[in-house]
Amino acid sequence: MEVKGQLNNVSAPAEHLLEERIKIKPANKAAIVIGLTLTVLSLLTVYAFYSFDYKEFDMTEALIATFANLKVIFLEPHLEHFSFGHALYQVLVTLGLAFLTTLFGAVVAVFFGLLAAENLSSKRVSMIIKGMVAFIRAVPTVLWVLIFAVAAGLGSTAAVIGMTFHSIGYLIKAYSESFEELDRGVIEALQASGANWWQIVFQAVIPSSITYMISWTFLRFEINFAVAVAMGAAAGAGGIGYDMFMASSFYLDMREIGAITYFILAVAIILELFAIRIKNKLKAA
Amino acid sequence: MALLEVNQLTKQFGKHSKALSDVNFSVQEGEFVTIIGPSGAGKSTLLRCINRMIDATGGEIRFQDKSVLNLKKKELKQVRTKIGMIFQHYNLVNRLSVIENTLHGKLGTKSTMAGVLGLYSQEEKQQAVRILNVLGLKEMIYKRADQLSGGQKQRVGIARALIQNPRMLLCDEPIASLDPNSAKVIMDHLKKISTTMGITVIVNLHQVDVAIKYSDRIIGINSGQVVYNGPAENMTPEDIQRIYGSEADELIFDIGGIHAG
Ligand SMILES: Nc1ncnc2c1ncn2[C@@H]1O[C@H](COP(=O)(O)OP(=O)(O)OP(=O)(O)O)[C@@H](O)[C@H]1O
Ligand SMILES: [Mg+2]
Repeated sequence: MEVKGQLNNVSAPAEHLLEERIKIKPANKAAIVIGLTLTVLSLLTVYAFYSFDYKEFDMTEALIATFANLKVIFLEPHLEHFSFGHALYQVLVTLGLAFLTTLFGAVVAVFFGLLAAENLSSKRVSMIIKGMVAFIRAVPTVLWVLIFAVAAGLGSTAAVIGMTFHSIGYLIKAYSESFEELDRGVIEALQASGANWWQIVFQAVIPSSITYMISWTFLRFEINFAVAVAMGAAAGAGGIGYDMFMASSFYLDMREIGAITYFILAVAIILELFAIRIKNKLKAA
Repeated sequence: MALLEVNQLTKQFGKHSKALSDVNFSVQEGEFVTIIGPSGAGKSTLLRCINRMIDATGGEIRFQDKSVLNLKKKELKQVRTKIGMIFQHYNLVNRLSVIENTLHGKLGTKSTMAGVLGLYSQEEKQQAVRILNVLGLKEMIYKRADQLSGGQKQRVGIARALIQNPRMLLCDEPIASLDPNSAKVIMDHLKKISTTMGITVIVNLHQVDVAIKYSDRIIGINSGQVVYNGPAENMTPEDIQRIYGSEADELIFDIGGIHAG
């Protein structure tokens, strides 16, 4: 008798649920805000296209001209003002810039990443570093280069400092997050046996996160290569980017731009293949 | 003389919740003591206060006749090297090999630099191999920790504690994640460690039958207070009732079987 009473009690709320529609995603504030934002943005986009000033602008003509240019760039590439050897050397310069800034960034970021990881540091220190990192990352790399150019003058020095600065911020975040993946219990176990902080870092934390650290670092290297190309043009940091800048705005040679683009593309593909190989190796290890 | 003495130990989390209040007991050299009690009774808290993974609020803990609670950092480290700890979730470094994990037990006695670089002496390596042999992990020395079964992982945990040459082992639910067979292997090893090596073993357990079978003495805790402290044989259903409160009924049924058998 008693059991039956209890059973009724259990099934009562379920029946009550069946009567009304069951929502899997209850409407909350976040969902409403996202929905509203998307609607407003789409309306603005439509309005913008509608209100553009199309005076004396023929869409078809513009498209045809653009494709003609693209055809010249990509189907008739040649090198005129630079030799192949020179271009290769300049690509190496650009790669060197990317490598240097990634290396500097990685070394500094390991140290601050440890201090930023909540399981290895105090909550206070971790919060302060993470706050600064958020700020550094919020400003684009190019802007950091221009900021440092105020002191160092536009050129390779400003590019190295600015790119390193943003790399540090990026890698601190990546590293500290992979450090935090390590179970607190492992750290406790070593603490309980009398190990000190540095020993725990090098014997447990870094061995556990080394694969993540390597793939994040390589990803940053790829980003830095792309930025280094842009910096060659925008900040006069040298390298293949500067040649591209010269070809496009000084010699006005579209065919040369095409050739240089292919160069950069080839390097990017080689880097990507390299990254895939490293990742597979790490997965297997 | 007792190896470990706990006097009027209290631990308070926040303002109101008292995890331990006025806990008193002592443990002899080579003794096998089990701490039992319902979930949230304060078993883990008690164990962690002993090697100061948690700082107690009040009272006194004496280990090898030295007060533990007001030690400086360096002295505390020295005490910790003499106390091995074993965990429910093993807490090994997954990416490293069995022998590397075992040797981690030696870090506390090494210089910072030697520890950072992982430089271990030939003797230390030999000792690690010897211990792993005894624990039946001879074939696994170079296996990665995450390729082991739960029971094997726990044996590596024991090896890491033993290589410290400890005077005492603290085990926080060492068999809670294991199947009955592996659990028996682990408990047998712990028992052997206490009887043949003379190392004091303190174990937190959930299984009353296992506690009765292996322990010299049982300490029962309920709501942060010691409500039973005596030999395993003397435990009565009333004692279990006092330790586990209303959850006890099922457990008493089990005990009847054990005493009969
Ligand atoms: N870090 C903490 N902060 C606040 N309260 C805590 C903390 N750790 C434990 N407690 C509280 O202290 C009490 C005892 O916890 P403890 O972990 O020692 O219990 P236990 O006996 O080990 O339980 P279980 O058998 O479930 O492991 C619990 O009420 C718990 O909520
Ligand atoms: Mg516990």
